[in-house]
Amino acid sequence: MALHINLYHEIQKQELARRRDPLKLGMLGLLLVVIGFVAFYFYRMESVHLLNVRIATLETEWKKFEPKQKAAKTREDELTQNIKLSDLLTKRIESRFYWAPILDEVLQNVPREVQITKLAGDLAIEKGRPSVLLVSGISSSAAPRKVAEDLRTALDEKLAENFEKVNSRFNSLDDTEESVTLDGKPCPTATFAIEFQLHNSAPEPTPVPARKKVAAQ
Amino acid sequence: MKIEKEEIQKIVLSLMLFAGVIYCYFTFLLGPLSTAQAAGEAKIHTLEPQIADAKKQLQKTADLEKKAPVSSKALEQINALIPEGAPVAWFPPRIAEFFKHEGIDKALTRLNNEFPEKELTGFRKLVWSVDIPHVEFVPLGMALAKLENQEPLLEIMNVSVEAMKEDPQYQHATLTVSTLVKQ
Repeated sequence: MALHINLYHEIQKQELARRRDPLKLGMLGLLLVVIGFVAFYFYRMESVHLLNVRIATLETEWKKFEPKQKAAKTREDELTQNIKLSDLLTKRIESRFYWAPILDEVLQNVPREVQITKLAGDLAIEKGRPSVLLVSGISSSAAPRKVAEDLRTALDEKLAENFEKVNSRFNSLDDTEESVTLDGKPCPTATFAIEFQLHNSAPEPTPVPARKKVAAQ
Repeated sequence: MKIEKEEIQKIVLSLMLFAGVIYCYFTFLLGPLSTAQAAGEAKIHTLEPQIADAKKQLQKTADLEKKAPVSSKALEQINALIPEGAPVAWFPPRIAEFFKHEGIDKALTRLNNEFPEKELTGFRKLVWSVDIPHVEFVPLGMALAKLENQEPLLEIMNVSVEAMKEDPQYQHATLTVSTLVKQ
């Protein structure tokens, strides 16, 4: 068996030691780290650049929108005020109280035995309070009080069709000593004053009432 | 393997240099970038809602613009009902003319009161009394119906009709009416 003797072992050992030089390895590691840092720096720089581009875009957009927004706000205020005013006026016009239909009801429900001497209507100014209609007159028949009561009932029913609630009462109902001639016969008379309290909704406006009969004659 | 003293010195020196480089890297290179990024993000967070609000505002105004013609027209119509000039100069003749047209010759109108309208900017309420000394009930009722329909800004607050003793066919009527006029 041949004997192998390595006569270069010292040279090879030196070569290995040179390759495993810690300083060299350290420098290589350091270089790798530096390359990583530089790469990361460029990556971050690019991110910030993209962010700046986005900011520039947004700023341009904002510069475009800002004056438009101010103008739109001013216009909105103007329009809102106009719409509000228009709505309030329309509401006020539509919720007016109409007296003509009430006069029409009175006209149509006064029988020939009754003469109206005074009619007064007061619109409720405060919300929730009733409007008031006062009807004063003279009734004449064999039973003048009944005629007055019939008038109160008839008007109450008719007005109740147009209002949520109607309260009616006699403020006065007195027999008088005077008598009138009705259909050729003398009849006793009574004076009356009826108060109607008209609550809530008012009647819709009606066309001009037809000429049917004269209430107060 | 034995590291010599000179090599140890080199390694320590290298490590110190490396630490210095790391410090400079984070402080002078990454630091300003991070600051700029934070400021930029804050700016974006401010600008984005502002732009969104502006767009909303434009949309809201555009929606209002669609509704506006109806209101503007109504307002124009209402304004057209109110003549220019002092109400005391045009309202009494207007009422007198109206009743004359309805066959009621005499109607005297006087200004009673004036109220500001808090809700209705640019308007005020005037209260007038209208005295009709000689009228029949039916023509009066017809005239009032027409007046209420013809004058939307007018409201009768009080009506009083009283038979005349000397001539029971006729009545003496008094009206209290309110009107809206421009400031």
